[in-house]
Order: sequence, then C-alpha cells, then structure tokens
Amino acid sequence: MKIRIISSIKSYFSRLINAIKTRSIQFVIASSFMLVTILAMFFVGITLYGKVSELEEQNATITTRQVMDQVNMNLDFYIRSMMEISDYLKDSIYYCEDIENSNLTEEMEVIKNSRKDMVALAVFSNTGEMIAGAPTYKIKDNINVWEEDWFTAPLEDSTILFFSSPHVENIFEGQHNWVVSLSREITLNRNGKKENGVLLVDMNFNEIDQICNKVTLGKKGYIYIIDSKGNIVYHPQQQLINLGLKKENIDDVLEHAFGKYFDEYEGQRRLITIETVNNSRWRIVGVAYMDEISAIKESIGDYSLWIFAIGCLFAISMASFISAKISRPIKELEKSMKKVEEGQFDVNIDVKGDAEVAQLSKTFNIMVQKIRQLMDQIVVEQEAKRVSELNALQAQINPHFLYNTLDSIVWMAENGNSEDVITMVTALARLFRISISKGKNIITVREELEHARNYLIIQKIRYKNKFKYEIDYQEEVLELKTLKLILQPIIENSIYHGIEYMVDEGFIKISVSIVDGKLLYQVDDNGLGMKKQVLDNLLLQKSKSSNGSGVGVRNVHQRIQLCYGKEYGLDIESELEEGTSVKLWLPIVKDENLGDNKNEKEC
Amino acid sequence: MKKSVKLIGACTLILCFFAFSLNSCSKEAEKNIDSKKNIAFITRMNYGYHWANVKLGADAAAREFDVNIDYAAPNDEEDIECQIKLVNEALDRDNGKKIDALILAASDYKALVEVTEKAYDRGIPVIIIDSEVDTDKIHSYIATDNFEAGQKAGKALVNIAGTDCKVAVISFVKGTRNAEQREEGLMSIINKYPNIEVISKEYCLSDVKLAYNLTKNIISNNSEVDAIVALNEVASEGAAQAINEMNLGGKVKIITFDSTLQEINFLEKDIIQATVIQNPFSMGYLGVKYAVEAMEGKQIEKRIYTDSKVIDKDNMYFPDNQKLLFPFTK
Repeated sequence: MKIRIISSIKSYFSRLINAIKTRSIQFVIASSFMLVTILAMFFVGITLYGKVSELEEQNATITTRQVMDQVNMNLDFYIRSMMEISDYLKDSIYYCEDIENSNLTEEMEVIKNSRKDMVALAVFSNTGEMIAGAPTYKIKDNINVWEEDWFTAPLEDSTILFFSSPHVENIFEGQHNWVVSLSREITLNRNGKKENGVLLVDMNFNEIDQICNKVTLGKKGYIYIIDSKGNIVYHPQQQLINLGLKKENIDDVLEHAFGKYFDEYEGQRRLITIETVNNSRWRIVGVAYMDEISAIKESIGDYSLWIFAIGCLFAISMASFISAKISRPIKELEKSMKKVEEGQFDVNIDVKGDAEVAQLSKTFNIMVQKIRQLMDQIVVEQEAKRVSELNALQAQINPHFLYNTLDSIVWMAENGNSEDVITMVTALARLFRISISKGKNIITVREELEHARNYLIIQKIRYKNKFKYEIDYQEEVLELKTLKLILQPIIENSIYHGIEYMVDEGFIKISVSIVDGKLLYQVDDNGLGMKKQVLDNLLLQKSKSSNGSGVGVRNVHQRIQLCYGKEYGLDIESELEEGTSVKLWLPIVKDENLGDNKNEKEC
Repeated sequence: MKKSVKLIGACTLILCFFAFSLNSCSKEAEKNIDSKKNIAFITRMNYGYHWANVKLGADAAAREFDVNIDYAAPNDEEDIECQIKLVNEALDRDNGKKIDALILAASDYKALVEVTEKAYDRGIPVIIIDSEVDTDKIHSYIATDNFEAGQKAGKALVNIAGTDCKVAVISFVKGTRNAEQREEGLMSIINKYPNIEVISKEYCLSDVKLAYNLTKNIISNNSEVDAIVALNEVASEGAAQAINEMNLGGKVKIITFDSTLQEINFLEKDIIQATVIQNPFSMGYLGVKYAVEAMEGKQIEKRIYTDSKVIDKDNMYFPDNQKLLFPFTK
C-alpha cells in the first residue's frame, strides 16, 4: 500500500516535471491558477494582517484607557469617602462648643472601627499637641509633628486638602502599617477660644493597593501612582522601587498631566498613559509593553503564514487537480492521434470532456472515419483496376472478333483472293503479337499505333473498304510510353456505331501529338455521331446501355484514370450526323526503366 | 462532473479541518507555555524574619520573570547534612520538574562545596546568596558584605558606647562564614581602640532562648558590661529580651543586626540603640533575577554586595529607612 502510494506520488511528480519541461496545457493552467490564487491570498493576508494589527494596537490603547478610567473612578470614590469623613469631623468639631469636654474621641473611635481601612484619626492643636485621637493607643513619645508634612502643610495654607505619600504609621505605639495621610486645617473651640488645628485621617495603604494591584495591562503591563512631587504612591513592585532595584522615568511622567507617550525602558518600548486622579494631585500612570502587542501581531502573522501555507498547498493540489482534469481528455485525444499516426484506424475516441474537447474528439472521429472510408475506397478501386485489367486481357483475345476475322479469311481464301488473305493474316498476327507483347501493360506509342493500324487493316478488309483511315503523328511521340490497347476499343466503337450504318464512305483519323505537356491521341470519325444523352452517360461508371455499346470505351477511360489519375482520360465530342471526336489524354512518360517497372506493377 | 464536485467538497472539508486544527493547536500552545523554568531555592533555615524577606524578594522576582521556585530548607541552621541532602534531592529530581537553576544559601563554607560544584558541573546556573561557599564554580554570589557590616556595627558601637567600654559579643554559629566575617569586621574597628575590651564572646546557635540565657549569664557574671553586640537577628532578639527583662534598657547598650518587628519595638523603646540592617529582600530578588539571566545566557556579575545600613531611633522613620524597615508584605 505504502509503496503504491509512493510510486504513485513519484509518477505524479515525474509527470509534473514533464509537464513543466514541455510547457503543456496542464502546466500552463496549473501555474496560472496557482499564481493567481497565491497572489490573491498573499494580498488578502497582508491586508488583513495590517488591519488586524492596527485594530489590535487601537484596542490596546482603548483597553489601557478603560482600565485606567476604572482605577481612577475607584480611587476617586475611595478618596471622596475619606473626604466625606473628614468633612463630617470638621463640621462636628466646628460646632462643638468645647472640644476638651466633648465625646469627640468616642465619636472618632466609632468612625474608625466602622471602617477597616482607616488606621488612625487624630486632631492636633496648632501647637502640635494631640487633642483627640483614635485608636486610643499610647502616642509615641518621640514624635515631633512639626517635622511632618501633613501637619505643616495645612497650617501654612488653610485651603489645602493634603495627601501624603505612603509612609509608616508612626504616631501610635505598636503600629507599623503603611498609610496615606489626609490632613486639613480645622477650627476648634477650646476653653471658649477659637483656634485652628489639624485633622489627620490615616488610610491604610492596603486599600489603595487592593484597588490597583489586580489591574494589569496585558501580561506584563501595570499601573502606578505618583503624587505631584513625583514620589511613588503606589507601585505593584513597591518593594523593588523602595530598595532601588527598579526605577521609573518619573521626570518624563511629571511633564504630562494626562495623555500618552512612548518611552524606552531596559530596551523595551512601552506605552505610557497618564491620568490625574480627581480631588488629589495624584497621577495614575499606565505602563503597557509594546512587545506584547507585537507578540499578538507576531502570532497573528504566524497564523496568517500557516493559513497561507495551507492555502498554497490547497491551491497547488487544486490547481494540479483541475489542470489534470482539463488536460486529461486532450491527452487522451493526443494518445489516440498517436495511434492513428502509427496506422491504427479503428480507434474511436469516447472523450467526455468539456465542450471544446468533446467537439474536437468528435471531429477527430469523423476525420478518422473519412480516412477509413478513403482507404476502403482505395481497396475498391484496386479491385476495379484488377477487373479492368481482366477486361483488357479479354480485349486482347476478343473471341468474337477473332471468329469474324477468321471467317472473313476463310471466305477470301474460298474466293482465291490470296493477296487479301495474306494481308489479313499478317495483320492479325501482328495484332496479336502487340496485344500480347510479352504480358507487358506498357508499350511504346509506336507499337500502340502499329496495333491500331493492323486492327484498321483487318476491319477495312472485313468491311470491304467501307471507310478510309489516316494515322497522323509527330515523330517525337513514337518512343513515349503508353498504356496498351487503348486505341483499339475507340476505333471499334467508331466502326460499329459510327460508320457501319453510314451510307457514305467513312473516314477515321487517328492523330498523336503533345498538347499542353500531355500526350494526346485523337480519334475522329465522320460517322453518325451520338445523341447528347448517350454521350453524357457514356463515361459514367454505372450506366449500362441496352446494347452494351460503350463498355470498351468506358473501360479505356477507367484504365487510364486508374493508371495515371483523374486528370487524364477520355474526352468525347460528338455531333449527330457529323461524327465523333475522341480525345485520349495521357501523361508524357519517357523514362523506360523506371516507368516500365513502376507501370508494370501498377497499371 | 458529480465526481469532481465531491472531490472539491472533500478538499474543502480537509481545508476546514486544517483550519480548525490550527486553531486548537494555537490554544494548546498557549497551555504549554505553563512549562515554566524551575528554580530550586535552598536556604539555611525555613523560618525567621531574614529568610521570610529573602523569600518575599524571590517571590517578587518569580512573579516578574515568570518562573517556578521550589523552596527548601532544613529546620535547623546547623543541620548541614540535611541541606546537602536537599541540594542533592533537587539536583537528582527528574520527574518532569527538573531544576533549571540552583539558588543556595550555604549553611557551611566548606561542606557545601561538593554539591555546589556538582550542580555547576551539570551546567545549570548556580547562584549563591547570603553566605559564601569555598569554591569558584559558581555563577554569582549575592550577599551582604559581612565584613563591612561588622565594621558598621563596630562604628555604631564606638558612637554609642564611646571608646572606653567593655563589650560582650553574641555571635550565632561558630565557624560559619558570615559569623566569622562579621566578627572580623567588628574586631577590626574595636582593635583600633585599645580601651574597648571584649570581655565575652558567645555563640547562640540561632536559638533565641539560648541567646537570652547567654545574655543573662554575661550580665550576671560581668556587672560592668557597657554594651552588647549581637551579630544576627536571633542573637539580637534574645539579648534585647534579656536586657529588657532585667530593666537595664539604656544602661547596657545593644547593637544588633537585622530588623524584626520585635527589634523595631525595642529600638523605639530605646532598648536597642542601633541595628545594622541587611537587605534580604534584594538578596532573594537578585538571586532569582540573575538565575533567570544566567539561564538566558547573559553574562552576570560574579560578586554582588547588597547594602547594609545602620538604623537608630532617630533615623528609623526617614522615608528611605522606613522603606527598608517595613517591607511591603502582600
């Protein structure tokens, strides 16, 4: 099975190679089909690839933007909830008549406990003394709020809502959470006096971490947050940033409040997208790695390449299949033609191809049929030739003629007309010698004329000088070759049908000449002539006149044509009461040996 | 004609099949990406602040570089045989989780040479972290410069206790490379000051209880001790606990190593006056990072020292220092 498949593949390839070498129809069809298909696929592939990659890039940008909007919303929501708490506390402190004697601490404790993400709440006087705070842990004794930004900034600018960078909670003992501090200036009533202070809300940094750390941009991409001074508020690899194992190009980011740009980091192209968080001066920075987008592009490219390759394979197989299908009937036709070329005429192609090929094979069939017919015809003609030769042979020894002649001789001998007897017997003897002429079919014109003369001599004596004759010839024709015994049947015809019933004396003229490069025998008589109808039918094969007249003439005509071809033969003109003129056209044959041999065989 | 229609149909079917198989192929390929690189990560101990932070750093790097890390460590820092066994097990593992790199924190300077060289000869990247091995057949060594850290502890001692004092040193395991180098660093400073006298040198074998008892013994035996230098986190905690309990906080100065939460609390309470902090997170992170780079065939540095720093009560909340002291634990 395997071997068969392999061998079939091998033969297929060898045929293919052959097809390429000979530039066969199959090859032309297959190659053009392939070329067109592959080009089309190539074009479509490239266009699709370009479009998809473009869309992918757009998509990445849009996704980044959406992700960051989401983060922004969440952060905004979170910060706003913290601000609301601080608003609430600020108001309640403002309306509290004496802060020392209020239940502010309890209130703050309740608020703090209601929210897990709140680490500490504290109110400081403008001297840095803590007035109230939650949790109610012991405050660290070494703390100096004047060194802290969250304390000094609101006191310097009372409108500000201060957000700190993440730092470790360091006010209460035993607490080391990372927090983000929100602080603002407040007005409080203490000991009947209005003074300003600072409200501090410490938010657990974990909350911001949780909002951000699930966010990824692609596989490697991430977001981070910086504050207005460029301190990193949040980074997924915060510890690496803290330890200086990783850096971000903060300076570039600070130049943009929002928007996007590309940068280069450790040899990787990155898409940086920046948004500013509402209510704070934080900026969210999205980092997307371009090589991921290009990885998608690459995979799309790979995929298209595969499709292309399979498509090509498919196109090639389809092309070879279709081309084989189209060219197979043509090849079959070609094979049949080869057979015909080798001489087998009995082929009959049964090609079921496309319209053109079917038509072609039909025509070819007709042609082969015609050839077969023609060949059959040749066989028939050969047959006819043999029959006519037999006829000629019969003409050589026409028993009727011999009987009549001998009768005449006897009759003359009885009358003692010895001179005529001698003449007649001599002529008869010559007649037969030439007519037999060693079995040859081809003789010289001289001999043919001699034959005719002897025949005329005999007939003239038999018909008691009822006619005269004349033989006229050019010297140069005498040695030319000619079919034998062609004049005698014409002369016989002239005598029997033209002169025998004439009242006046008859006259037969035989002339031989070269006209238009042909040898021309002409037998003219002044006999009765023939009717047009008779004349027209005389040379046609199938016609048979009632009295058998003209059989000899037709035989001569056939013999000449069989021997020399259709352009030769008899040409008869006849006029009633005027006479008949028979022209025998033959080719000029000079070459003795060749002509002799050939003619002897063929004629 | 019908036959050819059938044939074309068949071809189209085959084409469809190809397209589908290609689709599923690419999906399978995505699944196969799961075959990440495996890194064996063998430390000296499986507990403690220092190793927890090393592991945090390694985890961060594993996330970043997308590799698998198999952690292993003996229960006891002195169990050298167990560590050698663990390294051998990791190297001989071949159940589809063959390791592609080895990261090792050696328990012993000499004893781990053989397995380290064995791993190196296998052709896998060998990264030694935290404590050295006595061989050149490694790809990289990432650790604190322990001599320098010892010197820093010595300078802190001079600053805090002055140039005329009696000092007790509590080290951890005798003969370990790190302990030796820290001692040498410390002594190189102490020896500059003839009036600083080392009255006692003990080894706590990484046992807090033992360190605690040793400290009590030293104090009760030598009432005039001015300062204690503890050379690792276990020794530090034990010493601080003992001093705290004996209410000698501030009288007997303590210079420690590392920054466990307990140590930080003691620092804030002024029991511990200064601590030399290392950067275990960086060690873990860089160990994995360089292992990955070595696997990718990149050239990596043979010897990398991570920072050490002296922290005291005053500078502990400096933004830079709080980042070192309070790692982001996720």
